[in-house]
Amino acid sequence: MQEDSQVFDRIVRPHFDRLYRLAWRLAGAREEAEDLFQEVLIKAFGKLDQLLRIEEPGSWLARMMYNLFVDRHRRYSRQRLVVVDEGQAPGGSVLEFAGDENPERDSQRMEQLQALENALSQLSEEHRIVVILHDTDGYKLEEIQDLMGVPVGTVKSRLHRARARLRQILTDSGTFSR
Amino acid sequence: MNRQDDNTLIEERELLDLMKDYPMPEATTGFYDEALVTAAEEGRRRQKRRWLMTGFGSAVAAGLAIFVVALTLSGTPDVPAVDDAIPGVTIALAEPRTVNLVFSSAEALDSAMLTVSLPAGVELEGFPGQSEVTWETSLAEGRNLLPLKLVAVAPIGGELLARLEHDDRNRTFRLQVNVG
Repeated sequence: MQEDSQVFDRIVRPHFDRLYRLAWRLAGAREEAEDLFQEVLIKAFGKLDQLLRIEEPGSWLARMMYNLFVDRHRRYSRQRLVVVDEGQAPGGSVLEFAGDENPERDSQRMEQLQALENALSQLSEEHRIVVILHDTDGYKLEEIQDLMGVPVGTVKSRLHRARARLRQILTDSGTFSR
Repeated sequence: MNRQDDNTLIEERELLDLMKDYPMPEATTGFYDEALVTAAEEGRRRQKRRWLMTGFGSAVAAGLAIFVVALTLSGTPDVPAVDDAIPGVTIALAEPRTVNLVFSSAEALDSAMLTVSLPAGVELEGFPGQSEVTWETSLAEGRNLLPLKLVAVAPIGGELLARLEHDDRNRTFRLQVNVG
């Protein structure tokens, strides 16, 4: 039993940071993200035999997380109330911006990031996830295709539309000056 | 290239720069270790529960439960089939009563989703005010028991639906709940 835990740890731990970020991108708040992360680990532990045979456990775990998220979201969307603590809401993450020790520039950048966050919140979930995974987290188109189970053309289209919408919102709000 | 295109390009570049600065969430110290411990403990517990479900027969409390057996195997080894007849039970107002649903499955099913939709005036004990409750469950090959503790909070009643889904297949079990 102890050995199972050690084997499991060895396989999954290298993928934790990426998985954790994915959970955040999907769920949008720490509490839900950590719950999603935890549930994926529990499920994966129950499939350790299968996991041992997987060539790319990171992709496998990410797909499991995405499917679980979609499944939960569909099923609970009608009844679930999400309680988000102050500072843990999607907007709270911007407060973690490190800055570059130039207070004026930092302040301006912070405002832009908050505007970006606001703009992202206006996108559809599918568009928001695609643009963040690609443009912030550095996922390749094919990785997003694999994760979401849609053709790469659909991923490209979502990315294009998401960027166009973000540009429009940020221009209209005065964040981007023409 | 016209002015419009120039603006679009500039905005695109600005947007990409901004997206790159969008914060990367990081786990708090110790979260990964705790998550691993929980995964192992909960994973083992679920495996054990799955095993226990195969021996559910002895767990049926005599006399306390209304036993609604509604399922027979169909030819397809997927989600358990249900009988077309709608069984019924009568429960008293404000007196919790256990109704056992029995699902017979042709094969073990992992990660099935069960949704119970309750009629007006009837609640599941422990879920006050919720007309629909969904959770994940696993079914063993053969008969599986689902005890539902119902509480009538108003003299209304109606049809209870228990919907079992696995992959893209589903079956719905219907139970007429009368409040007497």
